[in-house]
Amino acid sequence: MFTTRRGLLVGAAVLTAAGCTRETAQIITSDADLTAALRTARSLAIGAEALGYSEIAQDHLTHAATLERLLLPGVVAEEEVAAPADAEALAEAEATGSREASDACLATDSDYAVLLAEIAAARAAHSAVLA
Amino acid sequence: MTAVDTGLAAEYAAIYAYGAMAVHLDGDPRSTAEALDAEHRSRRDALLDYYDANGLEAAPSEAGYDLDRVEDAEGAEAVLLQIELNVTTTWRAGTGAAEPGEREICLRMYADSAVSLARLRLAVGQSVADPWPGRPE
Repeated sequence: MFTTRRGLLVGAAVLTAAGCTRETAQIITSDADLTAALRTARSLAIGAEALGYSEIAQDHLTHAATLERLLLPGVVAEEEVAAPADAEALAEAEATGSREASDACLATDSDYAVLLAEIAAARAAHSAVLA
Repeated sequence: MTAVDTGLAAEYAAIYAYGAMAVHLDGDPRSTAEALDAEHRSRRDALLDYYDANGLEAAPSEAGYDLDRVEDAEGAEAVLLQIELNVTTTWRAGTGAAEPGEREICLRMYADSAVSLARLRLAVGQSVADPWPGRPE
């Protein structure tokens, strides 16, 4: 197939460009804190929407979309979750989610401390206005 | 100047603004403004304790702060909303601090200020939805 040196080099370049080499793909390990924040964002979005708090649900969906983008290609699948019974239960879930993001913000050495702080603050605000 | 220094200065300015603006408000916005004024004073006191505990010297408040001239409730609400947003933005900036103690107090103050901002928005009839409290546009 590659009968000349030039043909060999061109062939190798074509195969490399086409992704046909044996080079191991680099897997980007997802950040556990971001994955936890994503799971909670999805759960809170479902809970808020179920109780009619669509604007609050949209805040969580915005968080989820951002976290999914950061976690690519290691995004966890969506899971079924039970919606909270009432606004009081949702407020408690928001407060718990805020503490989770706060703890992650304080513990992380990544560049995502501010992002986790923003998520914690938004959840704290939701909790306060729902309570 | 540290993030905590900047945050303390923002809290001083907020206390001054509430003192000047609350007189223009009535009803729920007035009672919310009085409650938030008290919260800013509590935060200032907690910050002064932080300075003491860390052997640092806190800057005093200014004698006065530049505020828009206001003649009615609508104007006062606009000023206070901007003040709360400024405080929230200021504390947000400190949450990425490398020093753990500084990050911790900035995070606590940031979450509290986001709550204050949401409560004021609710009291004046604005949406409380905000996925990124205090994030500069």
